[in-house]
Amino acid sequence: MPKTKTTLFSLLIAVIFISGCSSTAQVQIDSQFPTVVSKPKPVKAAIVFTEDFKRYIASPNSKTSIDLGSAQTELLSNAFAGLFNEIEFVSAVSDVTFENALVITPSVQEVQVSTPSDTYLNVYEVWIKYSLDIETVSGDQVDSWFMPAYGKTPDSFMLSKTNAIEEAAIIALRDAGAKLLLDFYRIPSVYNWLVTEQRSENNRNRSSLSE
Amino acid sequence: MNKLLALCGLILLAGCGATTTIDEYRPSNQVMDINSEQSVVILGRRDAGHYDTDREFINCVANKMKGADIGVFPEQQFVDAIYPWFEPRTAPKGLKRLRRLVEDPAIKEQIESNGIRYLVWLDGSTETHDQGGSISCAVGPGGGGCFGFAQWEKSSIYEAIVWDLTNLTEKGRLRVDSSGTSYLLGVVAPIPLLTPVKNDACTSLGTQLKQFFTVDQSQ
Repeated sequence: MPKTKTTLFSLLIAVIFISGCSSTAQVQIDSQFPTVVSKPKPVKAAIVFTEDFKRYIASPNSKTSIDLGSAQTELLSNAFAGLFNEIEFVSAVSDVTFENALVITPSVQEVQVSTPSDTYLNVYEVWIKYSLDIETVSGDQVDSWFMPAYGKTPDSFMLSKTNAIEEAAIIALRDAGAKLLLDFYRIPSVYNWLVTEQRSENNRNRSSLSE
Repeated sequence: MNKLLALCGLILLAGCGATTTIDEYRPSNQVMDINSEQSVVILGRRDAGHYDTDREFINCVANKMKGADIGVFPEQQFVDAIYPWFEPRTAPKGLKRLRRLVEDPAIKEQIESNGIRYLVWLDGSTETHDQGGSISCAVGPGGGGCFGFAQWEKSSIYEAIVWDLTNLTEKGRLRVDSSGTSYLLGVVAPIPLLTPVKNDACTSLGTQLKQFFTVDQSQ
């Protein structure tokens, strides 16, 4: 009997060790993101967060899944609010109520993860490749903007794979917010749309005054 | 015999000391005033591809400065308060960019409301190189033990740049260069003789940075 107990105990220890070496990771991003410090431009925009986007779970490889949906919706809502002074969030383009506004539909093109065992670097890295479909309310396409974001852990020391990928993904999401605020109005087609819209607005004001 | 052992121990421990050099540059001899309502924020540079200035080092320098009654604003709290303008992608690398950032009233308001007077950029890393020797450990039914000898060299190179957020000028630069060799002896039990290279760099940098700031007690 004592021999059986010893065998069972040894087996249990072995199972614990082997499960510790397991390389699967299911990551849930629960982090809170700070409010952006930015003065929005006097532009109207409708942001379309589809159900797929809001519940998006990335599977960069067969052993890793990252639940990005709620975190990316929260982060991008916050970032878009720093860009436009009038904004509405909808689930489908058909729900947009604004006139003379931009309609922006973000989607995730790809998520990539690299671990120290892949790269022999002492860091975990996450790339999130977003695409923003930018249209007018009437359905004319303004642009389809590719927006890559990147995050990495400072090192991999004492980090479990799950925690490390979560940390890198949070940094990548914050980077997405930074890139959006920094570069959105630098997109030439968006800039041109704004200039044209501004001219039309001025003409409308002039004609209403002359009447 | 005991004296010989003590002598060997002393020689070994003396070999574990780090060599640290500090270079300081200040554009002027003006005293850097800071009152009790103002604070310093220490930020790490994280835009390099192959390394990040580690948070542990930044916290260590911040703790050394706190000892001198200088208010140190937490790094993450500052980065969050001005999100996203101090992220790796957006953080100003020079004063020209900082001046443009501070032109934004919302950013200026955040800096002022949090009482941030000085910003210290820390950039650098600690690296291990020149590893040599070998040590092997074995366990058998009669017991176990380690035999061998290993050594490695560590070097910490960090640069601190101090910006005044009120005048939007650079107030000085400090560079710390610390290196030392660590040993691991396998004499049945493994005996580590570690050189605290990073800790030495932190202590030296923190002490020197403290001397940059004069706390104005009158306010």
